[in-house]
Amino acid sequence: MSRLQKIPVVEEKKGNPLARVFDDLVRFCRSRSLFILHYCTGCGAIELPPAMTSRFDMERLGIQPMVSPRQADILLITGYVSIKTLKRVILTYEQMGSPKYVVGICSCTVNGGMYWQSYATAKKLDEYMPVDLYIAGCMPRPEAVISGLQKLMDRINSGEADSWQDYYRNYDYYLGNQQKLFGEDWQTPTDIITEAKHYELMGEGTLGQHTRLLEQHQKPLEALEMRLGHNIKEPVE
Amino acid sequence: MRPENYEAQRQPPSNEYELNFGPNHPGIEGNYALKVKLHGDIVLEAKADGGYLHRGFEKLMEQRLWIQNIALVPRICVPDPSPMELCYSMAVEELCGLKVPQRAQWLRVMQLELSRIAAHLFTFGGHAATTGMYSTMYWGVADRDLLLDLFEEFTGGRVYSIYNIPGGVRRELPEGFLQRLTETLDYIESRLPDYDNLFFKNQVFVKRAKGTGVMSREQALEWGVTGPNLRATGLAFDVRRDDPYLVYDQLAFDIPVEESGDAWARTLVRRQELMESIRILRQVVEILPDIHGPIRAPIPNPLAWNVPAGETYTRVESSKGELCYYVVSNGGPKPYRVHVRGPSSMHAVQVLEKMSVGSRIEDIAQTMFSLDACPPEVDR
Ligand code: SF4
Repeated sequence: MSRLQKIPVVEEKKGNPLARVFDDLVRFCRSRSLFILHYCTGCGAIELPPAMTSRFDMERLGIQPMVSPRQADILLITGYVSIKTLKRVILTYEQMGSPKYVVGICSCTVNGGMYWQSYATAKKLDEYMPVDLYIAGCMPRPEAVISGLQKLMDRINSGEADSWQDYYRNYDYYLGNQQKLFGEDWQTPTDIITEAKHYELMGEGTLGQHTRLLEQHQKPLEALEMRLGHNIKEPVE
Repeated sequence: MRPENYEAQRQPPSNEYELNFGPNHPGIEGNYALKVKLHGDIVLEAKADGGYLHRGFEKLMEQRLWIQNIALVPRICVPDPSPMELCYSMAVEELCGLKVPQRAQWLRVMQLELSRIAAHLFTFGGHAATTGMYSTMYWGVADRDLLLDLFEEFTGGRVYSIYNIPGGVRRELPEGFLQRLTETLDYIESRLPDYDNLFFKNQVFVKRAKGTGVMSREQALEWGVTGPNLRATGLAFDVRRDDPYLVYDQLAFDIPVEESGDAWARTLVRRQELMESIRILRQVVEILPDIHGPIRAPIPNPLAWNVPAGETYTRVESSKGELCYYVVSNGGPKPYRVHVRGPSSMHAVQVLEKMSVGSRIEDIAQTMFSLDACPPEVDR
């Protein structure tokens, strides 16, 4: 609860009305062309091929799969996330360019689902990254997936789907949960704090005790040397 | 980026480099990874890196009641879940000495064969996609959906049917179901020539698959390969025929065999198995109306069910290979130990590692799909 109260309320800017129209247009276009990075983290992934191919055909809504996180808009988490996978999911999420949206498919991402007592899975996805939308069910049918994504489109269009900003504003909270799972010296290659400064999204929860640990465990930067090899040996057959 | 955290380890200069193939990669099946060492695009070494889908099934099953585990087991292999339920149920029945009524046995055969067709169609789609033929994938997935509709009708679930319980099956068939089953089978059979022209006889596929991922019969036996992958090396071994369970000994079907042991042979074996499964299902449709009787043997109160102490080992033929359960009971309300011997843990780890060596990097995905490995079952 305390985290929710900390989210600052952005007041409507009294700027140029033309700019507001332009913003609306951008949001509309954004919601009509979505690329999903679907990371098959669990069994829910098996309902994605039917949803994408001829029968249910997500492409008619302007939603297409994309293979690289840098170009994707939606991160689709399809099912339970084991701890080994969660590391990769977080790395993938941080590499995606903003604005980005996270959709959790399957009950397992909501509360652990079937595997509530398993030692190997992370139970609640929204402790580790902000989630825009959950599609519950074990497993949700393709129709449910599509209607969920339609809801996400509406939310993007109306500007409500902005939970990616939450990751910058409350980075300390998310990092703390990640450190609890992966150990104190957990590091990711993306510098979230600098990004937050760049986007002007520094909140009260961006810095804290956990980000201090992050700095403490950073390794000092060494100069890299690079050589062009002329006398490189061929591999031994 | 903070390069200081991800600094590459200093290596002596060489022409070799390492790549991570997966886990989030369009060419890999599921959430699975390989670490490959390359020279140019030739693979020098491959190391399987699983565990992304590990949920600790065998431990979870020790903590749940015998009947609760039925809901858990299909999740072990997602594309082909039905043999999982069946094999577990058979193990419990053997421990309790339950006799399964005839009608239930026929219904189980029907479910298994439907599941086999669905799994094969899905594999063809994935395999075709790795060679760049996406239309086969679209067709395969769309046709598989017709089978999922049938599943939904008679079991209530599209993918996870949870139709078996120890002692029998849960529901009677809905009215007119066999008619609809026949129609779907006719449709799928009529589609097969199209698939042949699009995929199986397509030179793009034939040229790439022939000679890729070859294993000899001796190697296959040594590595513990089972199922269609073993039959593609010329050995006609099928649990359905050689150690019959359910009513497979009353059914007529052939065991398709190919000799060359490469990706092409493995795919052709599956293509012929599709026909055999359709043939089995047609026999089931004919015989099932004449078999009456209960669909379930009486079982004690499932919430306070103490299975007699003992241990058992059951095996069935799933679409990926031989699937076995080793179940130990100490007379309590929960299993003492359950071990799953899945076919994919051999295919995706040791076989794939050895087969990738010497091949080109773009053929790894094809080799993996032609082995029909199922990552959730590797990791369990
Ligand atoms: S909710 Fe069900 S289908 Fe989805 S990942 Fe969990 S167990 Fe699998």
